[in-house]
Amino acid sequence: MKAGMGCSCSGEDSQVETLTCELNCESKCIDFLRSVVVIMTKRMGMNPCHSNRVALAVDELFANIAEHGYAGRPGRIEFETRIDAHGSKGKELVFNFRDYTHSDWTYQECETHASGCEPRAITPGGLGLKLIREVADCFEQQKLADGNRWHLTFCVHGSE
Amino acid sequence: MELQFECKKTGNGSASLKVIGDVTIHTSPKLREQLKALLVPDTHEVRVLLGEVEFMDSSGIATLVEGLRWSRASGGRFVLAGLHDNVRDVLSLAKLDSVFDIEECSG
Repeated sequence: MKAGMGCSCSGEDSQVETLTCELNCESKCIDFLRSVVVIMTKRMGMNPCHSNRVALAVDELFANIAEHGYAGRPGRIEFETRIDAHGSKGKELVFNFRDYTHSDWTYQECETHASGCEPRAITPGGLGLKLIREVADCFEQQKLADGNRWHLTFCVHGSE
Repeated sequence: MELQFECKKTGNGSASLKVIGDVTIHTSPKLREQLKALLVPDTHEVRVLLGEVEFMDSSGIATLVEGLRWSRASGGRFVLAGLHDNVRDVLSLAKLDSVFDIEECSG
């Protein structure tokens, strides 16, 4: 399958299990990432609503990198996910993306297009990044000389 | 997953569009095509049946917003029906649940 070109798992330490993949930003990868999210959120003990929110955030981030970073062209994205039993906010589900885009875009710039409930203000990119910030416990972008590193974290809440 | 559609038109200017599958950045252009074809001047009400859509991302939401705009511009009614909990949650997160006319049943 071209979508998941290279994957590896590490779980020797029972506290941290990591899945890493190198992806090409094409449509098949969305389905692959969705499957990974289903497995990881189940292992985290998240309820269906929370699992859908995690899937939404991962989907939106990947789509934004593909659309804004790579402008719809094929491009390399490194993906890593892990459950950290002892994260800074307790048990955490972590997703890291690394892109190699050269375009000068940041999520803050895109986000200025989306502002609340006024339909005229809605643009897909802006709304997507707004949704990520709504559902993720942590969402960070680190700009690098040759691309970006993106970090998403989700915690288990309340009665889950 | 490919989106599937079932479209019904009645003689009184109403139309319904049943959507089946996930609405994402890759499938939402198909939804846009279907909505655009329905939102013609002699259609005064469009009901979008979303009971079999379990996942919708921001591109799907933006497409529905576009349908709502088109419908309002021609003085018509644009209704979302039978929303799956996941889609209702995303609309709520986007603070758009009060903007749309939402019906519980899928008709």
